[in-house]
Amino acid sequence: MELWEYSAWRLAEFVAQGQLSVSEVVEAHLTHMQWQEGTYHALITPMVEAARDRARALDTALAGGADISPLCGVPVVIKDNICVQGSPTTCGSRMLERWVAPYNATAVDHLLGAGAVVVGKGNMDEFAMGSSTENSFFGPTKNPRDPNRVPGGSSGGSAAAVAAGYAPLALGSDTGGSIRQPAAFCGVHGLKPTYGMVSRHGLVAYASSFDQIGPLARDVGDLAVALEVLGRADDRDPTCSSRPRTTYLNAIQTYSLKGRRIGMVREFAGSAVDPELHAAMVHAARICQDAGATLVDVSLRDTIAYGLAAYYILAPAEASSNLSRFDGVRFGFCREAEVLQEQYRRTRGEGLGPEVKRRILTGTYVLSSGYYDAYYATAQKVRRRVAEEFDVAFQSADVVLLPTSPRLPFYFGEVGDPMAMYLMDIFTVPANLAGLPALSLATGSGRDGLPLSVQLVGRPWGEFDLLGVASILEKAFGAPQPIQGTGGKYS
Amino acid sequence: MREELSPVIGLEIHVQLATGTKIFCGCSTDYIGAVPNVNVCPVCLGLPGALPSLNARAVELGTLAGLALGCRIRLRSRFHRKNYFYPDLPKGYQISQYDEPLAEEGFIDVADEKGGTRRIRILRLHLEEDAGKLVHGAGDGRLEGASCSLVDCNRAGVPLAEIVSAPDLTSPAMSREYVLALRRLVRHLGVGDGDMEAGSLRVDANISLKGPGESGGERVEIKNLNSLRALERSLEYEISRQRDLISRGGTVARETRHWNEVTERTLGTRSKEEAQDYRYFPDPDLPPLVITEGFVEACRRRLPELPDARRRRFVEGLGLSEEEAAVLVEERGVAAYFDAAVAAGAPPRRASAWVRTEVLRVLREERRAVGAFPVLPDTLAALLQRVESGELSTTVARECFHALRTEEISLDEALRRFGGGKPSSEELEALGRRTLEENVDVVEEILGGRDPKGKKIKYLEGLMMRALRGQETPEAVRRTLEELIFKK
Ligand SMILES: [Zn+2]
Repeated sequence: MELWEYSAWRLAEFVAQGQLSVSEVVEAHLTHMQWQEGTYHALITPMVEAARDRARALDTALAGGADISPLCGVPVVIKDNICVQGSPTTCGSRMLERWVAPYNATAVDHLLGAGAVVVGKGNMDEFAMGSSTENSFFGPTKNPRDPNRVPGGSSGGSAAAVAAGYAPLALGSDTGGSIRQPAAFCGVHGLKPTYGMVSRHGLVAYASSFDQIGPLARDVGDLAVALEVLGRADDRDPTCSSRPRTTYLNAIQTYSLKGRRIGMVREFAGSAVDPELHAAMVHAARICQDAGATLVDVSLRDTIAYGLAAYYILAPAEASSNLSRFDGVRFGFCREAEVLQEQYRRTRGEGLGPEVKRRILTGTYVLSSGYYDAYYATAQKVRRRVAEEFDVAFQSADVVLLPTSPRLPFYFGEVGDPMAMYLMDIFTVPANLAGLPALSLATGSGRDGLPLSVQLVGRPWGEFDLLGVASILEKAFGAPQPIQGTGGKYS
Repeated sequence: MREELSPVIGLEIHVQLATGTKIFCGCSTDYIGAVPNVNVCPVCLGLPGALPSLNARAVELGTLAGLALGCRIRLRSRFHRKNYFYPDLPKGYQISQYDEPLAEEGFIDVADEKGGTRRIRILRLHLEEDAGKLVHGAGDGRLEGASCSLVDCNRAGVPLAEIVSAPDLTSPAMSREYVLALRRLVRHLGVGDGDMEAGSLRVDANISLKGPGESGGERVEIKNLNSLRALERSLEYEISRQRDLISRGGTVARETRHWNEVTERTLGTRSKEEAQDYRYFPDPDLPPLVITEGFVEACRRRLPELPDARRRRFVEGLGLSEEEAAVLVEERGVAAYFDAAVAAGAPPRRASAWVRTEVLRVLREERRAVGAFPVLPDTLAALLQRVESGELSTTVARECFHALRTEEISLDEALRRFGGGKPSSEELEALGRRTLEENVDVVEEILGGRDPKGKKIKYLEGLMMRALRGQETPEAVRRTLEELIFKK
């Protein structure tokens, strides 16, 4: 077994026990990464030299008796909308092509504090707007499970990097499914925590009331460790909760499904979901049942009917405001002009891509006077309704089972219509609307070797149940393995 | 009919809150004279990924001001985003309170033309962030002819309280009084320095003319008012401009006009700006601001006596005139100095006169704050007590005061120098003998039992006190006299 095939917690254990140096772990991953990257283009910025320096520094610290845990020596990929001090943080946009973050995101600080080594910044749809990573200014990422297909999005680079063995762990951000859907497409696990679990400080905002940073990994235990590291209060983000957090890794090993209730959603039994993905969900339900859980019928009627529409009003509304700061005045891409309005027009016209412009226009429209009530205010009502519907569902269920995506990974260019692309988010968006934790679990492969997946949605702060159920399912389905790779040398 | 058109004026006042740090980050609020873009960080520069976190001190100061204005404080208020593009606005939106402000429905009493007071309603007080500043590249720093403009973000994120009055003001003079009253309050509370010239108190005026029934014109907003004079002059100008317009059969359009200091005229801005849609919506980065009854009560308890109440107390309790009291309460520190002197035993009327003349004159001349005044209130009180009792003449007291102020010597030292110093017991006795010798007739009357009310010995005492220029206590003088007269 190669070093890049191990889970994060296992690598950290090797390092802690002195069986491997950080440099050995990191070098093995870097070599593999450089071998693969020419094929997959999972990264916007590989950080080879920085990673080597950091590995050496950690080895020195360890030799000096430093106690660094629980991710000491673990290579990680960070989505390129999360600030890493001194590194470009492009958000997949021309607008920030040359912008170097002057500070670390809180999540990055926590990872570094735990001993992680950043090996690269992950490719993504521009400003996290997209479901295929085709919207990256720096070109698309290819799905390691089938390079003719998209890796999903918007955290497609992070998901592909984990699937291709660049790192056992990556950070993504999830606004409407941007961690879970690419995880599902690339055959890895992804967790979107409860809104307020992880600080957003240093995450370049797409839609502030939805965005949440979370981990992608090939091992449920790694999601648990990462959540312990990331999920801390932070007074630099007022929406980050000060509620005390629990630990997950040890607790989920003894998790039992006896007496637990798994919610099966009535409204889309067999609807527009790929039959294999539907079968994966049924399969997962049966495993839970066999392990002692009860299956219960829950209704998310209005959520399924109106949630997506509400999301595509509210998220663009927030985005239209969040992205106003990209005006070419203080940082980033700028096209100077004689007249101020012209400078704005050219800077934003050339610096932003078509999907970003589409959402800014949508958001500007729904917030404009005369339309606010019809769109924004109404969508807020739907959002409250979604939360209520989940509240009711969680009175009878501990975890709700859903597909992550209605479709298997598709080919590049196959979904050209923006509306059709938005429909990819139909099962992931509800958790963001209600601020709930949700986990996409890789459940093996189906036709053409394409990865299958299921999604678990939990109560607010119900990550423990999600990780517990996921760890039991993982034992049954088997943890996903990184692809062995066929790629040419990275140059 | 047209002569009956009367002005209806409402003011929007922005007060910079004296928090020391910005409203959503920890940067210093010093921007006057600071090197451009030094007091900045990712938050107030609006860098990608930065988030605001609310400064509790701004909430506290806003609450204090709201309470002092008699407002209802909202236990749950909210921040919205006001979206527009401008180079001095780092995020492309201003965080401001919109339909759920911190404080609502208050009032302030303002002096009117007839010497009475008029209650002006306050519609709301809300918190918001200031924008940065543009520095234009033309020689005179103006926009016209500038080849480039530079952005200074030191001011971006400085906390402001916007106080909006109802359209209750009826004249430029009353508007001026309103600003003065509000400034006095702000300074008294210590929530801001209220310096109009420095821009820490900024005024926008809304004015329309109203005739009988529905007649009159639309509301015009005047901006760029940097002084009380500008406020008054611009309102006067607008009143006559609008009157002329209406009398000539024209209509006053709803618009924003800028006051030009040089030409002393208001100038309409392009109507394009009027169509601005700010697309307000709740800021998703900031949870609703929730404060407790307990917090509001704690603020209420911390409220100092307000200028109006203090003025009333000075008039009704201490017997000062309205004019005297008004001068004293203008500045909180001065009023407090006066209060402390009275508490230390200074006779109020005399203290009032001294503070208004001696103290204030020096403060103005030397541009000092009262806190740095070298003569402490209890020293002044001790000095004035001596004047009151006749121990010191006003002239000598002034000499003492001057020395106390300029040389920072002790009161005893000053008294010794200008009053000849405290006499030794021998000196006192010698003086006593001399006084008795010069007033043999009085002494005889006393010894003859013809001084039942002690008036005569009191007369001798007075003579001695005067000779001593207040350098000895009346008790000691009396004791000396009695010994000399009765034990002879
Ligand atoms: Zn700052």
